[in-house]
Amino acid sequence: MNYRFQFGVVWDNFPLLLEGALLTFQLGCFAFAGGALIGLVCATLKTYAPWPLRVLVDCYVVFITNTPALIQIYFLYFGLPELGFRWSNEACLLIGLTLNAGAYLTLILRAGFLSVRVSEIEAGQTLGMSLIQQVRYIIVPHIAKSIYPAVANFFIVILVMGTSVGALIGVDELTGQAINLSAVNYRWLEYLTVVAGMYVVLTFIASIGLALLGRWAFRVKARIF
Amino acid sequence: MAHLAVSDVRAKYGTLEVLKGVTFSIGKGEIATLVGPSGSGKSTVLRALMGLTPVTGGTVEIAGERMNYSSAREVRAARDRMAIVFQQYNLFQNMTVMQNLTLAPLKIKKWDKQQVNSEARRLLGLVGLSDKADAYSDQLSGGQQQRVALARALALKPQILLLDEVTSALDPELVNEVLDAIRKLADEGMTMVIVSHEMAFVREIADKVVFMDAGQIVEAGTPKEILDTPKTERARDFFSKILRH
Repeated sequence: MNYRFQFGVVWDNFPLLLEGALLTFQLGCFAFAGGALIGLVCATLKTYAPWPLRVLVDCYVVFITNTPALIQIYFLYFGLPELGFRWSNEACLLIGLTLNAGAYLTLILRAGFLSVRVSEIEAGQTLGMSLIQQVRYIIVPHIAKSIYPAVANFFIVILVMGTSVGALIGVDELTGQAINLSAVNYRWLEYLTVVAGMYVVLTFIASIGLALLGRWAFRVKARIF
Repeated sequence: MAHLAVSDVRAKYGTLEVLKGVTFSIGKGEIATLVGPSGSGKSTVLRALMGLTPVTGGTVEIAGERMNYSSAREVRAARDRMAIVFQQYNLFQNMTVMQNLTLAPLKIKKWDKQQVNSEARRLLGLVGLSDKADAYSDQLSGGQQQRVALARALALKPQILLLDEVTSALDPELVNEVLDAIRKLADEGMTMVIVSHEMAFVREIADKVVFMDAGQIVEAGTPKEILDTPKTERARDFFSKILRH
């Protein structure tokens, strides 16, 4: 084996990789926030709404969770322009990831709704709480705590796996940036090694942040490793 | 005048009639205990009073005031006057002891914060948990949790306190600390309706014992009358079984 590692060229372009990492982080956060909102609305509908709306939510969830994210994003980027809907590659990625996250978070939040203990609701009722007060003081805090680990894990999934799909439609997030730079001077091994390390660091930072947030806000005993 | 007058109260779960006309009354500061076999409807009486099980007939009066259970508002009016403590404590697990006690008075009643806090501290002292104000329920023993539940119910200053088998889920050595707290309340003159299987405690604390079976009251009277010389065969049979050990 006489391959000679040359990391110098990677360091020269490191600022570009950092830009990619920042874009990855932003895309992950926005897709997650949007998805959480969709998930909250859909899980509420699934729990309390009349059956036509529940079926609609089911269709959305089944359609999204049973197709690859790549197909969904290609559909937005390559498919819809044929019908006259043309968005930038970053917009397509963000919309696709958000819809994708929304479906998975609907499932996670729904599980949270089902896990609220009837006894706590009854205690709230007998203390004179209205339905809205029960939701605000009992149901939401309970859901937040019980599903926090699953939601936090899912954030990492979007951050790492979700956003990297962007490379295939020319978004210069971390993976895309790595592919672009490698293609210039064929230092694939060096670039991909460094980028893999950057993903680990990014995930590590996000995990610590989420664990601290969970402990502080919801008393979740989250593990960092 | 009766402080709590329950008259011919009926309740159904679906088509199953679980209360078939229950009538009893207690005066202010008195303690009634409901006893009887499992499934006889004792807990359902308390749940119906709190509007957790729909009342399908009969009347309930508190201090001469008629309670209706036909709308959410009227149910809340009943809940304003009574408080219940459950067998499984039902504490809010995401809150500290202090937050459990003060949530309803502060957020729902909008009472004065300083008074609510000092009242909560007084109640924690009453149930012997002054040092646990900042603990969460999963850091407490069953007996401690049940005493918190007791204090939480009292924080709303109910006119009548309902206790639903509050010691049944506890380890035997924790039962007494809860009973002691209830004794203190009795000394303070709290009007209570207690569902209990602790017959020695019933004998000691009750002004009136109501024996129920199959959704009806079989007989009612003083503890001595009901526990020592029950008139009906059903009650004799029940007490002979449970008082033997």
